[in-house]
Amino acid sequence: MTVHIDENLVQDDAGAVNCRHCDAALGVAQQPLRDARVRESDPRTAGPSVRADSGHFADRPVVLRQTFCPGCLTLLQSEIVPGDEPSGRTRSVVAR
Amino acid sequence: MAYVIGIDIGGTFTDAFVADEGGRVAGVKTPSTPPDFARGFLTVLDELSAELGVATGALLADTHYIVHGTTSTLNALVTGDVATVGFLTTRGHGDSIAIMNLEGRYAGLGSDQVQDMVRTDKPRPLVPPQLIREIDERIDHKGSVVVELDEQGTRTAVRELVAAGAEAIAVSLLWSFRNPAHEQRVGEIVAEEVPGLYVALSSDVSPRIREYARSATTIMNTQVGPRLRDYLRPLEVELRRRGFSGSLLVMQGSGGCVDSADAPSRAITTIGSVLTGGVVGCTRLADELGHRNVISTDMGGTTFLAGLVVDGEAVSTTSTVLNQYQVNVPMVDVHTIGAGGGAIAWVDAGGNLHVGPRSAGARPGPACYGEGGTEPTVTDVDLLLGIVNPDNFLGGRKQLSVELAAEAVRAKIAEPLGLTVDEACAAIYAIQNAQTADLVRKVVVTSGQDPRDFVLYAFGGAGPMHCASYAADLEIGEVVVPLGPTAAVFSAYGLAASDIVLTAELSSPTNFPPDPAEFNGAFQQLRSELDGRLAAQQLRFADVEYRSEADLRYTMQLAEVATPVPVGDLDEAGLAGVGAAFSDRYEQLYGKGSGFAEAGLQLITYRTRAVGVLPIRPRLTPVGPADGDARPVTSRRVFLDARRGWQDADIYDYRHLAEGHEIKGPAVVEAPTTTVALPEGCVGRVDRLGNLVIRYTQA
Amino acid sequence: MPVIPVAGSEKFANLPTTPEETRRIVGDSVRLHDVDRSVVDALDPLTYEVVRHRLTSITEEMGEALKRMSGSVVVTDCNDFDAAIMDEVGDVVQVGLYNTELAASLDMAANWTLRNRCARPGIAPGDMFLCNDPWVGGGLHQNDTSLFAPLFVDGELFCWTGAVAHQVDLGGVSPGSWSVGATDVFWESLPTPPVKIVEGGEIRQDIEDVWLRRSRVPKLVALDLRAKIGANNVAHERLRALCDKYGADVVKAVMRRTMDDAEQRLRAKLREIPDGSWSSVAHQDSARSGDRGIYRIVLTLTKTDDRLVFDFTGTDPQVDGLINCTFAGLRGGIMPVLLTMVCGDIPWACGGIYRCIEIISEPGTINNCTFPAGIGKASVASGWATTNVATECLAGMLDTHPEHRKRLMSVCCGTWDFALLAGVDQRGGGFVTMLCDSMAGGLGARSDSDGVDTGGLACIPMGRVADVEMNEFAFPMLYLWRREEPDSGGPGRFRGGVGASSCFIPYDSPLGGVHLVVSAPGKALPLAGGLSGGLPAGTQHDVLVRNTDVHARFAAGRIPASLDELAGTTDLVPTHHETDLGAADVYYTHWQGGGGYGDPLRRDPAAVAADVAAHKVSPAGAGDVYGVVVDDRGAVDEDATTTRRAALRRSRAGLGAEEVPA
Ligand SMILES: [Zn+2]
Repeated sequence: MTVHIDENLVQDDAGAVNCRHCDAALGVAQQPLRDARVRESDPRTAGPSVRADSGHFADRPVVLRQTFCPGCLTLLQSEIVPGDEPSGRTRSVVAR
Repeated sequence: MAYVIGIDIGGTFTDAFVADEGGRVAGVKTPSTPPDFARGFLTVLDELSAELGVATGALLADTHYIVHGTTSTLNALVTGDVATVGFLTTRGHGDSIAIMNLEGRYAGLGSDQVQDMVRTDKPRPLVPPQLIREIDERIDHKGSVVVELDEQGTRTAVRELVAAGAEAIAVSLLWSFRNPAHEQRVGEIVAEEVPGLYVALSSDVSPRIREYARSATTIMNTQVGPRLRDYLRPLEVELRRRGFSGSLLVMQGSGGCVDSADAPSRAITTIGSVLTGGVVGCTRLADELGHRNVISTDMGGTTFLAGLVVDGEAVSTTSTVLNQYQVNVPMVDVHTIGAGGGAIAWVDAGGNLHVGPRSAGARPGPACYGEGGTEPTVTDVDLLLGIVNPDNFLGGRKQLSVELAAEAVRAKIAEPLGLTVDEACAAIYAIQNAQTADLVRKVVVTSGQDPRDFVLYAFGGAGPMHCASYAADLEIGEVVVPLGPTAAVFSAYGLAASDIVLTAELSSPTNFPPDPAEFNGAFQQLRSELDGRLAAQQLRFADVEYRSEADLRYTMQLAEVATPVPVGDLDEAGLAGVGAAFSDRYEQLYGKGSGFAEAGLQLITYRTRAVGVLPIRPRLTPVGPADGDARPVTSRRVFLDARRGWQDADIYDYRHLAEGHEIKGPAVVEAPTTTVALPEGCVGRVDRLGNLVIRYTQA
Repeated sequence: MPVIPVAGSEKFANLPTTPEETRRIVGDSVRLHDVDRSVVDALDPLTYEVVRHRLTSITEEMGEALKRMSGSVVVTDCNDFDAAIMDEVGDVVQVGLYNTELAASLDMAANWTLRNRCARPGIAPGDMFLCNDPWVGGGLHQNDTSLFAPLFVDGELFCWTGAVAHQVDLGGVSPGSWSVGATDVFWESLPTPPVKIVEGGEIRQDIEDVWLRRSRVPKLVALDLRAKIGANNVAHERLRALCDKYGADVVKAVMRRTMDDAEQRLRAKLREIPDGSWSSVAHQDSARSGDRGIYRIVLTLTKTDDRLVFDFTGTDPQVDGLINCTFAGLRGGIMPVLLTMVCGDIPWACGGIYRCIEIISEPGTINNCTFPAGIGKASVASGWATTNVATECLAGMLDTHPEHRKRLMSVCCGTWDFALLAGVDQRGGGFVTMLCDSMAGGLGARSDSDGVDTGGLACIPMGRVADVEMNEFAFPMLYLWRREEPDSGGPGRFRGGVGASSCFIPYDSPLGGVHLVVSAPGKALPLAGGLSGGLPAGTQHDVLVRNTDVHARFAAGRIPASLDELAGTTDLVPTHHETDLGAADVYYTHWQGGGGYGDPLRRDPAAVAADVAAHKVSPAGAGDVYGVVVDDRGAVDEDATTTRRAALRRSRAGLGAEEVPA
């Protein structure tokens, strides 16, 4: 059964995950964003909503980490997190 | 001969009621004529004259006053067909009406909607951002000026608002109720800049602490004021042309009326005037029947309204919620607690049966109307249980389909639950009645009363079909179904029997007790304001009564309790008496031991109500004594009580009944406007005014 | 000093217990009412619905009674309280629509009381128990004080009712009991395990004195105690009448079936959703004043058939500070979003809902801490962060279903912006109050619409903020503004609701200034994450400007509309801070909005232009994040927008104009 994992991702019966906008291959059920493009940048590039530099309050580095569709460059995942820890955001829908 | 007339214009019908000094009364009903409601107003006057057998000109010439209840202000606010308003407020606080104390996301919603939090939203903004201007000025909590009013900035802001399309201006500045100087000066500046522009000041409209509700109230008042003015002025001119020389009065949500010249500047007070007509009618009827405490229940096709009369007076509230906005307006406390006869019965995903709160509304209406409704409603069930006669619904004005009703119940309820249609109907009827009892109970209990101390009045098309049942659940001993000559136009009767009511209030928060001079001074100020407004009504009053109250609370509590204050200046002992009265009332509302006087008291708002008693009070005519026993016209099988199942019941035609007739349940009384169900264990007796009074002989 | 294990504290490390185990422990010391399964099965739809509706209305009446009688602004104006009806072993049958976080562990407290108080001092008609020990349950931190009462029918303990509310101060080093310097619980308010404060219908004066003695505002706490007694009394009177009318067995059968119904409907809904697992992480910056660490809670939610497993493995160990929470706090953190997002159309009978979920968490972690870790701000620290991480995982799960995705939200207002004022008020009386303006946080974006601007918090369906005038009347303060903050809602195809800010000065206190306690994380990094590519909401931002010229500006006829207009020394306020405000010091506090949903470049440009007109998004935000160019008249410049979006799509992914994506 085809599952829309969210507004950008679709997973087919075999567990292949593709972009819903351009059909680019992105990954598999266990790692839906395996082949997506990841970029880290300064949190303040997220826009004016980040009001102050993280260095005022914490010693660990903080990054804006974004994941894009390699085909159409749609933004698939955004997080502002300590830069010294890997992303804790994953998901896996059981293919059936 | 001197007449008084009540005219109630609802969305569907325009009702009129006339009474003369000699005790003659008449009522007529015609369709409303939206959007030009004035046309229906004039038509119903012609019909009323015909009913009395006099020319319209002659009737109008002898009419002292006409009391008009109108749904137009409320409709305008609900539909958004209002004047474009510009809003001026203190710098830094223009977002208050958007933040809505955040409660605007859920205010006025039912608990099932609140629970579904993800799907809740705030309403459309009251004023779009381009029509809001903040001005430099500031007054503090004591009323002292912290920042002077920036007059030049105000002038610029007014010009900008008018250029942006404002047809009227609402002004609400922080702490203006403590010191209205800045608001008054802004009002003058608006008048200088744009002479004749409608402007409302929050310190006039609602001088009460809490800026969000005060601003919302002032804005809504400004939205409807110009429209009400444009409706009433030509109407009054036309009435004068037709020979009317009396006063045209407009009903307010408070249950009292106000002269039509005074109404537009306080237009917000007229919202809810149609809702209150029924409660005012109950108050007058209760007066006639000697009932001091009454629960008024009005169950129509689409709504169920409940109100209270305590000690002969309609219970009032000082604020209400409209379109999810908090509005400060003294009103008869009418609770919309259900969906009426249109309430839909449904089965949830877990296989549980529910009734309401969704309603089939007027369109498509119940399945039995044959207008496309497929969902079973309470009205369908009333039909299938034999309570409603399909050939004699609303006096035969609408033919109902038993087949469509049965199909709806079968498909949506009986089959999914594995019940017969009869069993499903019995369950829906019982659930509807029990829920009604829960909701009515909440209304009574939250006002600190016990339902067992009340007589219940039931009217509206569907109320009398259910009242004997829900009243029994509330352990109420006596139920009155108003059925005399007023029955069809009960609200219009209430209007004709009303008085002038003006309310003035002023917040001046302080620790209690304040200096007696301060306390007495506040009430003197309110009294002189009211005397001025009463004189401006240009009416002859039989009497003028004043009622004063102060909103007190324990320090830092949300809930202020309106506490009666004796008329006249009070000394320290008198103030202590007010404090004691507050404590008593508080314990009555929230339970013994809940008061905690050590926390201290605060006084938030002073309020005085003036009642100008009008000289003509319509008297109802007796229906005449019965001659022999009541005779049923037929009998049929009905289901009125789950414990007793289907029973043969006598069916009576109300038009054949007279004072003293007694009817034992199980029975059904068919009247032109409604149907009354009398389960076994009830006895209905026709009183001298033609009302059916139900009492219980067994539980 | 680091947290050292305390022998003897194990007794209070409460975990949910099964009804069977509870009955075994209670034995015959208290007769517990029970009803045969056959009575539950025999319930007809009519009786079930009538009695169920009445139980709901009793819960509402309890809430109303508590709210009206309470003396705390946090209760009366902000709805930071709740009420519940529980069965004889404490399973929750019905919870009120107020702070669901608080009510989520009332069952644990009532159940612990049964097991530990049944023999001595015993449980009898007219008794009520008070508890503010979050290891036992009944609240998330010590300020959450619950009062629960057994109802006896015919000599048997028929059911429990409970009321819980935030008390503004119950002692501890700092006013408001939020000791921002705390390294462990001994800096904080003393946790009080269940104690029989009402016996046979009367308040025990000795116990009440012990209870009130710790508080800086004993009168207020006493008033709230009476409010909770009143709420329980209201419920007992109504429940007794219900049992008289329908019989205790039938009423209990309805309670059982209400929980069964909630369980079955939740299971049915879960079966409709694809199986899978969703992992997420929630951060908090700073554990106490002076601390510059960042801590995390990790959750993997696994949905298999009709069950949910919340596995917190990987979460950081408990820390020296006040941000930890107990197991009750973890559970209280999950419940609000489970109720609002997954059970919006299912009865809130938590007793049934809990049967569908399993929690895996290691004691000694930041959201399942052991005594004596500091938990003074647990409700809004690790409890809240647990809500955030649960929101992301549950929303991800719901997003896979075409119908259920309509009830997902991105994370709402990422934290509680705590600002506490204390001192002497304008009438000369002492006061302590929590500024509750930040109740008006932004709600998370939905999968089909924007989040509600200043719409509230995830855990309180009916939050409220007090009017500016009410705060200025009650406390010695004067606001320069309270306003919605542009760009504070997480950008996305659907925008998160904006948060807001308040800016004020001390005013009219005989002391001149006021004492201020601040505890508001989300400054080093935003805490309300977005979904489906949507960005997080903005950061928390508190600024203190010392020795300003604000009074001179007033005298000159101007109200400053931004901090830039003020002279003075500007300090960014750290996450945890305690200080005094002088008469010319301006305090500005800006709380968070909700996370966004979807790629902001896919947002309808007209919606962005409308946001700019309504000051929900700044022109800079519109251009830099949404790629929308708005002209002088406020309309979308279509051509410039197309060009801008094309460029932004590449540059944000780190690609030059000509580069081909790999
Ligand atoms: Zn793509």
